[in-house]
Parts: sequence; structure tokens; C-alpha cells
Amino acid sequence: MIAALILVPILAGLALYLLPRSADALAKWIGVLIAFGAFAIAIGYNGAPDESLRWLQRPFTANFHVGLGGLSYWIVLLLSLTTGCALLAMRVSRQRDFVASMLVLLGTMTGVFIARDLLLFALFWDFMLIPVFLILVAWAPGKSAGSAWRYLIYNLTGGLALLLATAAYGVVEGSTDVIGLAAGHGATAIGAVWGIWIFAGYAFAFLVKTPAWPFHTWMPDTYADLPAPAVAVVSAVQSKAGLYGFLAIAAPLLPDQMREATTPLFMIGLIGLVYGGLIALVQDDAKRVVAYSSLSHLGLILLAVFSGNPIAIGGAAVYIVAHGLFSAGLFLTIGQVESREDTRLISRLGGLAARNPKLAGALTIVALAALGLPGLCGFAGEILILTGLYQAGAIVATVIALVPIVLAAAYMLRLFQGFMHGPELADIPERKDMRPLEILALAPLVIAMVLLGVYPEPVANVSPSVSTISLPSAGIR
Amino acid sequence: MPPFVMPFGTSDWSAVLPLSVVALTPLLVLLLDLILPKAMRRGAAVTIAALGLIAGGLLALQGWGHPFAAFGGGFVNGGFTIVFEEVIVAGALISLLLATHLGRDDQSGGAIALLLWSASGAMLLAGAANLMTIFLGLELLSLALYCLCGLSSRPSAREASLKYLILSSTASGFMLYGMALLFGATGSVQLAALLAPPASTTLFTLGCGLFMIGFAFKLSLVPFHVWTPDVYEGAPLPVTAFMSIVTKAGALAVIARFAYAALPQPQAQAILIPLWILAALSMIAGNVAALAQTDMKRLLAYSGIAQLGYVVAALAGTTALGLRYAIFYLIAYMFMNLGAFAVVALLSREHEEGSRLSAFAGLGYRQPALAAAMTFFLMGLAGLPPTAGFIGKILILSSSVDAGYAWLAGVLIVGTAISAYVYFKIVRAMYARTTGADIQRAVKPASLLPWLGVGICAVAILVLGLYPVAPSDVLPLVK
Repeated sequence: MIAALILVPILAGLALYLLPRSADALAKWIGVLIAFGAFAIAIGYNGAPDESLRWLQRPFTANFHVGLGGLSYWIVLLLSLTTGCALLAMRVSRQRDFVASMLVLLGTMTGVFIARDLLLFALFWDFMLIPVFLILVAWAPGKSAGSAWRYLIYNLTGGLALLLATAAYGVVEGSTDVIGLAAGHGATAIGAVWGIWIFAGYAFAFLVKTPAWPFHTWMPDTYADLPAPAVAVVSAVQSKAGLYGFLAIAAPLLPDQMREATTPLFMIGLIGLVYGGLIALVQDDAKRVVAYSSLSHLGLILLAVFSGNPIAIGGAAVYIVAHGLFSAGLFLTIGQVESREDTRLISRLGGLAARNPKLAGALTIVALAALGLPGLCGFAGEILILTGLYQAGAIVATVIALVPIVLAAAYMLRLFQGFMHGPELADIPERKDMRPLEILALAPLVIAMVLLGVYPEPVANVSPSVSTISLPSAGIR
Repeated sequence: MPPFVMPFGTSDWSAVLPLSVVALTPLLVLLLDLILPKAMRRGAAVTIAALGLIAGGLLALQGWGHPFAAFGGGFVNGGFTIVFEEVIVAGALISLLLATHLGRDDQSGGAIALLLWSASGAMLLAGAANLMTIFLGLELLSLALYCLCGLSSRPSAREASLKYLILSSTASGFMLYGMALLFGATGSVQLAALLAPPASTTLFTLGCGLFMIGFAFKLSLVPFHVWTPDVYEGAPLPVTAFMSIVTKAGALAVIARFAYAALPQPQAQAILIPLWILAALSMIAGNVAALAQTDMKRLLAYSGIAQLGYVVAALAGTTALGLRYAIFYLIAYMFMNLGAFAVVALLSREHEEGSRLSAFAGLGYRQPALAAAMTFFLMGLAGLPPTAGFIGKILILSSSVDAGYAWLAGVLIVGTAISAYVYFKIVRAMYARTTGADIQRAVKPASLLPWLGVGICAVAILVLGLYPVAPSDVLPLVK
């Protein structure tokens, strides 16, 4: 039952409210069990037969149609893995309610990636905003809830554009059960008049969600305010929904519009790439460093998606998973520092390595993966993307894309040095090094980073069932 | 001397049997109110009224599949009428569950009787197919409501009652003048007779315009909406809940029948354009005005203005599917809206309605189940999945796009985006961390009956969201 990957976490999350408020530990272990259980079950379902149930017949055909394969398979694995790891070593108040929200988030985000029907995709796309909004409202520091509003209004506006585009697609095509169909299925039927509007709706939603410059302003606050386990999952997976949408929906269904949009989208990607890298260099808040570095990395993936080159697109798939792994790792490690020292400001910290060698080691590995050290996952994605961009003839873009990769080394090492090296600050309370559970929570992510770094091939050759890209090479030459 | 013959046969009377049952039940309620001891009156009145409504609803179902024009076309009984009658009965029933807040104990019998009379007026509107029946139904609906609005002892109640009386009568005046002009232009009071090209186009168009203004007032479409928030705020909670759905259903039935079945074809679309513009204005202005509200009843009043805008937008282009989707969304709105009212009822104390927004602060920690239900209703009103509100919006969007009114779909999207802030403001209040000081103690509700309403509405919204069934066989409307 692929659909169980959606239903079980959501129902279990709601059922947690039946537990007494004090059953925090039990709630946590239920959450961990369900997340890792989803991981274990999903592993066996690669390419399993789709499941479908009739939903609407008029005004267009829509089905509860789910399937697991191609890129969505790897993202679902990433999602359940990061959720499990995030819950394993969390330190959050009102744990029962938090786990409940995280499980609903797990179920709804799984729904986004395994939906094979545009309307079902839109349903989960909007649904997954609710748990994050509730987490922001109930757990963000401060009382203003500014980040919650920014998150909700930005993403809901995108979601509504997506909804309108889906309705229009359904009316024009007669069916929304089209995700994963062969490339170019809808291209002939959708005329220029509707196609451009439908593409605009989808592209807007995807760019806001990614987020790409200039729609990114909701992201730094959201990431800074979410508790570490939540931001690990949101940055690792929810931000990939937009890129996944471009690959799995826009490219196969609206190839002509996708091709026409190449130049502006390249510009957006390039600006985000450089801008995010530069801002990350000067942030004091470690979470904001990672947030802006995400803007930079996701800009690179956006370039790859629109390059139309198969190598670059394979690289995009690898980097989507890789960024998920190392950004989750970074946010979890920063969360562990913060839970010890009550701060995550680079200027307020220093010299932690002496007392916390294991923590220093963990941060080293994830930071190296993030800055693209060969042998770890970040490098595998970057080199494939750059090779593909070069092959596609986008020489200028390739050269510009090299700059932020250098910047990544600078801001990641700055973060590491600020935390771990330098004089020990006197007013920092002395705390214990990583607990075994915290090591256990990071270990699966680190193992996956190494595995993907040395053997990226299965991800790079994502099955054509979900993302068949057949764009002629285009781009900035 | 010829024998006396009843002018109408049994089938004429059986067509209006459901609404007759609903209209006669109050007599029983009033009788019991006289003979029962004080302590039992409210319970007895609610029970008898509920049974009467259920009987009316079941009797209405019997006419399904046998469309019949009763009383020489004055009352048309068909799928359309029955669906609206069921909506009215269901809306009245759920409002009745909140009736623990309806006036003092010694008033409750009379109040419940008035509620049922008002509902029977709406049911008459559901089937009314000539101008006389329409006016009769509308006045029956409204007269009972004027009294009900003034029921509570608060000063705002008197204001509400008077305001409603004056403004509503003015709107009726407009509508009557419109009816007179329509009669003048066509020489008939039958809606079916309007289909023939009129003798005088100017007279006819003017008549249509005035007629639509009258019903835009009843539907509280912008700019004929200003009475709504004040009246909703002043009226007792069950009456507000009742008005928010039953009045709207009755008025919508008339306007839909008029738009679909009573206009000569080439001119119809042009005559109706003002109606779509009113819908667009309502979607935007209703949601914008709701932003600033701090009282739940006022907030739901403005939100209702916008929601009815969505419903009317579904009719744009007067396609058959559009009518079905308008009805679907009306049903979804009924459950979402009445669910929210039921939650407010559960937050109310004996003499104070829990409609201030501050009553919701920290509710997620005091009463998690109630807060979860409220979140679900608000998600529905905001059009978020997995609710009937989400699927209803999708259906309306596709019917607007299909009918060539893509601009209306765009306006709907903008309105929905604004409404997210309105509804999630309440969600935020319920779940935001609050200091002990601003959290009220858990309220012990005066009655547990509204919980039944919460349950019914939540289940209905979820089921309709996952398995949407829009009623079929709703056309034709006049014959």
C-alpha cells in the first residue's frame, strides 16, 4: 500500500492527541518508529504498481492516484529518513504536540511527491502548509508570529496560483491524472493562450516554494524561527517540492512554455546563486547562514533544471537529495549547539571544539559535504550540474556558477571556525559532548552523504516514469 | 348547479406538503409551551421542532424524480427545489442545536416557532416559480426574522432588529417595483412567461435590475451588504447561524431560478453581468472588511458576504455544471459555517456569547478537540484541503474558466488569499503560546447539544471533501 505512506503518519499524528499530555517520551518513540518504518517500507516500493481510485468525473477526471518511482522515490526516502533523524534527538517543549505536527507534515509532504494526479498534488501542496504554520505559531520564539504569517501568505498565494492553473489544466485537458505520463503528452493540446497562463501559475508556485530570488523573503525568518527538527525537514524536503514540480510536472506537460521561460529562469537562478552566497557570508545567525546558502544552492539546481541537458538534470536530482542530506545535517547540528549554549550566533560562540570534540567532528563532516568536498554528496551533484551546463553551451552561466561554490567554502568554514575554534568564551556554560542518541541521529545522514558521494549513479539516472526531460539544449551562451 | 370542484388536486397539495409540515409544527410547539411546566419547555420545543423539520425533509425527498408544477406553475417541485429544501431543513436543524442560547426560557417556545416559520418561508422560495409566490415566501421568511433579531436583551439587539426591518423593507420595495415592471413588460407573473422576448426591452431590463437588487440585498452582496454585520452581531447566536444559511439558500434559489430559467436567451448573459460584478466585489470587499474584525459574529458575517460571492460566481455563464457546483459549495459552506457557529456556542456562558476573538486565546491548550474542530472549519472556509471547501473552490474555478469567466476565477483567487489571513488569525489565537493571564478558564458550556453540531459538520466536510457529490437532476427549473 503506497497510500499508507500518506495515511498512516497523518492518522497517527492525529491519534497522538489521545495520549495524555505527559506522554512525551512515548509520543517521540511512536514518531521515530513511524518515520523509520515509512523509510523501510518505501525502500521496497521502488517502481511498485500505482494505486488509483476515482475522485472526480466532472468537470474533469481526477483520481486519487499515487505511485512511487524515479525522483519521487529518492525524495520520499530522504523525507522519511530526515524526519526520523530529526525526531530521534530532539529537545523541544510540548513534545507530544510537536511530534503530532511533524507526523502530519511527513504524511502530507509524502503526498506531494507520490501524487500522480495534478489535483491530488495541489491538495497536498496546500495541506502541507498547515503543520508548518502551526509549528511556527506554537514554537517560534517571540510573540509576533511574523514568520508564521510570512510563511503562510507567501506559500498560500503560490498554492492558489497552482490551484487555478490546475483547474484550468483540467478544463482544457479533461483530466489531471497526468503526472508521470510520457513527455509531451499535453504539449500539443494546450494552445499558446492557455499554456502560458497555466505555466505561469505553476512556475510562480514552484518559485515561491523553492524559494528562488526574488520570492525568497519568507524563507530566512521561517528557517530561523522553526525549531531545529522542523527546519531540518522543511529545508531538506519541502523546499524541494518546487524543483520537483518543475522536473516532474512542468517539463513533461508544458515543454514549450518551459523552453520559452529558459532565459528569465536562468537569470533568476543566477541572481539567487550569487546573492544567497554573498549574504550567507555576513550573517551572524548560523541558521540564517544555512538559509541563505540554501538560496544559493537551490539557484544552482534551478539552472540545471532549465538547462535541458540530461547530465545537468541527473546532477539536479543528485543535488536535490544531497542538499536535503547536508542541510538537514547542518540544521540538526546547529540545533544541538543551540540546545547546549542557548545561542547560535557566530559572534557569541567560540572554542567549542576543545570541550565537544564529537560535535566538532559532526559539524566538520556536514560542512564539508555542504561546501562540496569530493567524495561527499555535494560534490557529486555540483560536478554533474557544471559538466551538464558546460555541455549545454551555457558557458557564461557555468563560469558564474563557479563563484558561489568558492563562496560556499568561505561561509561554511567561517561558520565552523566561529563555532569551534578560537578562544573559549568565558560566559558559555560548560556542557556535555554529544549524547549517544544525538550521534545516532546524525549517523544515517552522514552515511547517506558518503554513499551518495561515491555512488550517485542510481539517483542521477532517475527513472523516466516521473521525470522525462526532453528539452533541446538552451541557455545563456 | 355544478358540483364544487377544488381548483387544485392532491398532487398540488402534496408538492407543498413538506413546507406545510414545517409551517404547522410551530402550532404544536406553541401549544406544548402553554401546558408544559417551565423546566421542560425548551427541551420539548427543540425536540418537536427537530422532529417537524426531519419529517419535512423526508417528505420532500418523496418528490424526487417526479418533477411537477403545482398551483398552475406557482410552485415547481423538482430536483432543484428538493435540494434547496433539504439544505434549508439541515441548516435549520443544526441552528436548532445551538438554541440553548435562544432567549429566556419562557421565550424559547415562541422563538423556535418563529424559526420554523421563517424556514418554511425559505422552503417556499425554493420552489417559487412566479412572482407572487416569490414575494409571499420572502415576506414569510423575513417577518419572522425581524422578531427573532430583537430577541436578546442587549441594546445592540434592538438596533439589529430595527435596522433589518427598515433596510429589508426598502429592498423589498425595490424588488416589488421590479416585479411590477416585469409584469408590465410581459403581462404575466409566471417566471416561465418571461422567457418570451419582451414587448418593451427597457422596461424589462429595468425590472430585472430592480428585482436583482432586491435579492442582492437578501444575499448581502456588496454593496448591498452593510446591514449584515450589525444584524448578525445583535441577533442571538442561533438566529445568526440560521440567517447565515437559510436566508441565503432561499434567496439563492430564487436568483438561480431567475438567472437560469426566466430570461430570454440572447439578452440573458448581458442582463446578468451586473450580478457577476457584484459577486466579484463581494469576494474582495467581504474578505478585506473581515480582516479588521475582532468579534466572531461580525467576522463570520463579512466572511459570509465573500463566501456567497463565491457561490454566485459559480453561476457565471449559467452553465448546468455551474449550478450544481454553486449548490455543492452552498452545502459545503453550510457545514463549515454552522460548524464554526457551533464552536462559538460551546464557548458561550449562560448570559454571554463567546464570540469575542479573545475567547479563542489558548483554546488549543484548554480544549484541544474543540480547537482542532475549529481549525478544520476555518481551513474549509479558507479553501484548504482536505475539506469540502477546497474541492468546492476547485469546482467553482473550473466552471468559471469553462464558461469563459476566467477573470472571475482570478478574483476568487485573490479573495481567497486575503481570507487566509482572516481565518488563520483565529487559528493563531488558538495555538499561540500565551501567558497564564490572558487565557480564560475553560468554559463549561450551557449545553452539550452543540457538540453534536460540531461532529456532524466536521464529518460532512471531510466526507464531501474526499468524495464530492454534486446533486444531479437539478434542471429544468420552471416547468
